[in-house]
Amino acid sequence: MRRVIEGSQAVAEAVRLSHVQVVSAYPITPQTHIVETLSDYCEKGLMQARFMRMEGEQSCLAALIGAELMGVRTFTATSSQGLAYMHELLHWSSGARLPIVMAVANRALAPGWNIWADQTDSLSQRDTGWIQIYCEDGQDVLDSTLIAYRLAESVNLPVMVMLDAFYLSHTYEPVDIPEEADAYRFLPPYEPRFKMSTADPHSFAGLVPPVSYMEMRHDIALAMEDALPQEVQIEEEFASIFGRRYSALEAINCDDAEIVFMTSGTITSTTRLVVQKLREQGEKVGLLKIRLFRPFPTDLLREALKNAKKVAVIDRNFSFGTSGIFAQELRSALCNFSPKPLVFGYIAGIGGRDVTPAIIESIYQTTKSTATPDENGVWAGLKE
Amino acid sequence: MDAELRERELMHSGHVGCPGCGAAIAMRFFLKAMGEKTVIVLPACCWSIIAGPYPQSTLDAPIIHCAFETAASTASGVRAALDMQGDTETKVVAWAGDGGTFDIGFQALSGAVERNEDFLYVCYDNEAYMNTGIQRSSSTPYGAWTTTTPGRDWKKMRKKNIVEALVAHRIPYVATASIAFPDDLIRKAQKAREIKGSRFLHIYASCPTGWRIPSELSVKIARMAVQTNIFPLYEVEDGKNYTINYKPREYLVREYFRLQGRFRHLTDHDLDQIQAMVDEDWQRLLAKA
Amino acid sequence: MNLVMKNKLLIPISSMTSEENKTGSWRFLRPRFENKTAPCSAACPAGEDIPQIEMLTAQGEFKEAWEMILRENPFPAVCGRVCFHRCESFCNRANYDEAIAVHTMERFLADTAARYDFHPPAPVASPRQERIAIVGGGPAGLAAAWFLARLGFQCDILEAASEVGGLLRWGIPAYRLPQDALLQDVERLQAAGVGIFTNRRVDETFLTDPGSLYQAVLVATGYGKGQMMGIPGETVADVLEGLDFLRNLREGKQIPGEGTTAVIGGGNTAVDVARSVVRLGGKAVIYYRRRQQDMPAFAEEIRMAIEEGVIIQELVSPVEIERDGSHLVLSLQRMAVSGEEAGRARVVSAGGSSEAVEAQRIIRAIGAEPQEPWMAPPPAGPDTIVLSHSRIVLGKGQRPVLYTGDLVNETKSVTHAIASGKQAAIALDIFFHEGAAAVASRLAGCTVGDGSSQSLEIYLGGERKLRSNHVVGYSEINTDYFSFAPRIRQPRLLIEERRRSFSEIDLKISAGLAMQEAARCFNCGLCNNCDNCRLFCPDVTVIREADTRRINYDYCKGCGICVVECPRNAMSLKEEADQ
Repeated sequence: MRRVIEGSQAVAEAVRLSHVQVVSAYPITPQTHIVETLSDYCEKGLMQARFMRMEGEQSCLAALIGAELMGVRTFTATSSQGLAYMHELLHWSSGARLPIVMAVANRALAPGWNIWADQTDSLSQRDTGWIQIYCEDGQDVLDSTLIAYRLAESVNLPVMVMLDAFYLSHTYEPVDIPEEADAYRFLPPYEPRFKMSTADPHSFAGLVPPVSYMEMRHDIALAMEDALPQEVQIEEEFASIFGRRYSALEAINCDDAEIVFMTSGTITSTTRLVVQKLREQGEKVGLLKIRLFRPFPTDLLREALKNAKKVAVIDRNFSFGTSGIFAQELRSALCNFSPKPLVFGYIAGIGGRDVTPAIIESIYQTTKSTATPDENGVWAGLKE
Repeated sequence: MDAELRERELMHSGHVGCPGCGAAIAMRFFLKAMGEKTVIVLPACCWSIIAGPYPQSTLDAPIIHCAFETAASTASGVRAALDMQGDTETKVVAWAGDGGTFDIGFQALSGAVERNEDFLYVCYDNEAYMNTGIQRSSSTPYGAWTTTTPGRDWKKMRKKNIVEALVAHRIPYVATASIAFPDDLIRKAQKAREIKGSRFLHIYASCPTGWRIPSELSVKIARMAVQTNIFPLYEVEDGKNYTINYKPREYLVREYFRLQGRFRHLTDHDLDQIQAMVDEDWQRLLAKA
Repeated sequence: MNLVMKNKLLIPISSMTSEENKTGSWRFLRPRFENKTAPCSAACPAGEDIPQIEMLTAQGEFKEAWEMILRENPFPAVCGRVCFHRCESFCNRANYDEAIAVHTMERFLADTAARYDFHPPAPVASPRQERIAIVGGGPAGLAAAWFLARLGFQCDILEAASEVGGLLRWGIPAYRLPQDALLQDVERLQAAGVGIFTNRRVDETFLTDPGSLYQAVLVATGYGKGQMMGIPGETVADVLEGLDFLRNLREGKQIPGEGTTAVIGGGNTAVDVARSVVRLGGKAVIYYRRRQQDMPAFAEEIRMAIEEGVIIQELVSPVEIERDGSHLVLSLQRMAVSGEEAGRARVVSAGGSSEAVEAQRIIRAIGAEPQEPWMAPPPAGPDTIVLSHSRIVLGKGQRPVLYTGDLVNETKSVTHAIASGKQAAIALDIFFHEGAAAVASRLAGCTVGDGSSQSLEIYLGGERKLRSNHVVGYSEINTDYFSFAPRIRQPRLLIEERRRSFSEIDLKISAGLAMQEAARCFNCGLCNNCDNCRLFCPDVTVIREADTRRINYDYCKGCGICVVECPRNAMSLKEEADQ
């Protein structure tokens, strides 16, 4: 059924269709519509779930860890400060190999309260062992949430699904909402590979000394590696049921492009328009949308960029002391690869600042006319 | 204690608790009362280690180790899951030390009990961060030496009254218990077990290592704490109905303090002041009952 | 999903218990179960296992408790009435609230045995060839016979009077020791196969030549003859000997008792005589040369005598008796305290003229001595073995003669007589098994605690042998496990009822009251299965096996909580290296 809904609602629809059993919630702009909608669904009986109104984000994730360990499917959503507050437990969730799915409305970090779009929040958690998916539009958000459960439960790792603050969370778009039966076919009820029970009691997650810890961590690394082929297979299945195909990367006009944009989130939508316009002007330009950030699709990126001379990465985030994070990760992926394009890093849209077609075009022009990239990245659209 | 409970043992030998560990005794009695259908949520505390390093477990009950501050919130999630699975028999217990209850875990605890989450939160209290090396917590009593209140900096703040804090949340059941009064502890655990909603047990668990007492006096000290009214045994139902379970004869706090190395530095004047504080608190408690 | 995955879901989940760690290696002190000796047992001349008796009584195991008494004392019905209960003076509970009424418990068990016709278990020792002659059927002789029978010997009691019992039958009034109480205990002896021959008087030659029938002779004739005062007029009519007076009463003879009777003396006999006079309808006045507090009679007896109207005149000594028509005149000299010796006064004449009092009759009870001089034991010599409560003379032909009871005991009491009989019996058993040289040392190995009481059970290698001789003091009791509870009040006849008849004064108590009182006993040094050790162990290392416990030393860390929380000091904590 096709409806015009907010990105937040799209998340909620997916959670409903996923037959999540426990939802924990703590409000933070601009995630609030997600949890309010879920609360409404629970109250109306559209969802058979326990809706937990926790007293803080850390408690939200702690509650899900407890619930997931008992063998039920769970969900929460947060943003910015809330995500930062959860940091300890982000590590805990992946270390405990729990397939929790969380929606993150990418929002800037304080101080200086800023509720608008910025990816630094989720990207600064990139070491915590969560699979990360960056969504471009409302449909992407809904579909990725469903896919997230399949992916999480296949490798036993938690998944974060990102949607830009306001640009996605509060923007109405037409979205195809799957039928119950189709969703059920794609995502059957949760069958945990392990869980706690009084019938077969064990101690879980106690002291692990050096002789044993390393193997467990290595196993998480292996699970991340497994996530790549799993994701491909899951996307294949999704496509066969719903007719929509997703992947870790989407390449647009990259085959003969000399300069390729690399973007994520809603900036991608704008960049599509700019690329189209530039192509009409004869520029050999392409766009590589990166959707799956963790595990980082190194092989796919190398393959996609093998013919490019330059890559212009637009980061709506920054890691102080180095550069924009997507750029950093890309450089690292290309490091031992040859031949490789030059990576030009651009920082734009920080704290919700609008990334206009003009800015993107100027990024193109700068890239084209610059021989050597600035390793610190260029901040696009800064006021003088 | 009836014969069945005497024989019921859900705890194994071979754990690494210090000789004379009051927390081990507390858990042993507690699990006798609770039985097998119990899930234990266990944050960072001495019991994280006593529970056994991987791949061992000291208990015959499932243990979910969790982050330090999250005992109450993790337990809330466990309960939610069990409810969604239609399991009405299994009981959820959070078993935390004083640090994880009074300090870092207080927010989660307050949040959980405000929601009247259906779980039993047990704080076994050895009055400091013992697992990390005897550092001061808000449960450390007035007058105590710890590694972060050494010498003249002995703790001059009074012990936080966690029971009254919980009573203020108007939860169905709050009670104190002591390892030296096993029948009382077991009765309260069994009573708490059958109540729905948030329940809190505050168990006095002596620590020979941290309190600088000979290990063999571990239970005796726990008894003296009750006998001197320093740790009264009482229950509060629905945030208003107080029942005092034990009214001792006159026992001076001096006796209790003099036996413990962590109070060795206190002068007679200090002890007189402490006696006055204890007397005042006791009178206040009596007035509520 | 057919993709083969690299990750194996290697998670930190347990797969074994903590029992992999043998934490016993941490230990530097080792606790263990060690039953010890209770002060009451050590104080009891018969060495009764009092804490065990009280424990069984508290649990309602009356038959077992009664059998426990019989192991060390054949006469619970007698001792439960007339023993001076030294045990109660040493009772640790007295430091807490009040001593246990051990005396009352023993009486209760005897009464229960009679009521339900309990029979003692068979002796454990195998029968022996030797036959022992016991001259005198008083408490010492009867006790010796019992213990000898338990040891497998055959015995014959040769009693000069018409019935056995000695002082028990003839010297203690019925209101203290009714005849059927004594009969209960005597019948048990006969049932055990002891030969009892009454109206059999033997002479001196019997000791050296008892005939081929007997391999040893035991002399237990007691102090049956009252001593004379040695004052003028002592032999006039109506001047009677106390022991004779009491015997006549016990024989059922009609005794005149009206008017005033003067009783000379301060021991139990004197008090018994005075109280009997009251019951005959007369007035009794005791004249004693020292202070009332120095009287050797039991304090409780003196107290009851005064309640019944007996008057005690202290610090007077008789000097002369004269007849004056229908009554006697007794002249008394006032005495004065000149000093103290071991708590008793030394008295001298206070000077001045004597006082005279009138009385219908005068009964002397100043002391006793053996009936015949040859009954007294010979002085110590190369052929004698002097023991704490008996003396063995190895006569010609190596047939031992043993002297027991009041003949040798410093403290002349029923219970000491029983102790004496027991010691003699064990000594004989050692003599016949191992020879004379082993007697003293073997006996020394079966005493209770630090005292001189012998235990037959220890001699026979029973459970008590395993107990430590350390006597548990009050400071070693963990009183946290007890609450104040008053001692049972002995129900008695009212004073008016007492004065009117010779009926037994102390009444029976109910089983409920007995169990309640017995439950007050700390059971010093004796495990009573309270389970504290097991329950409080932080390491779950105390294992219960049927009715006992053991410590699993693979895991015990030696914290010592079990030892401190044992209310009755039935455990010990020692250096690990000493084990």
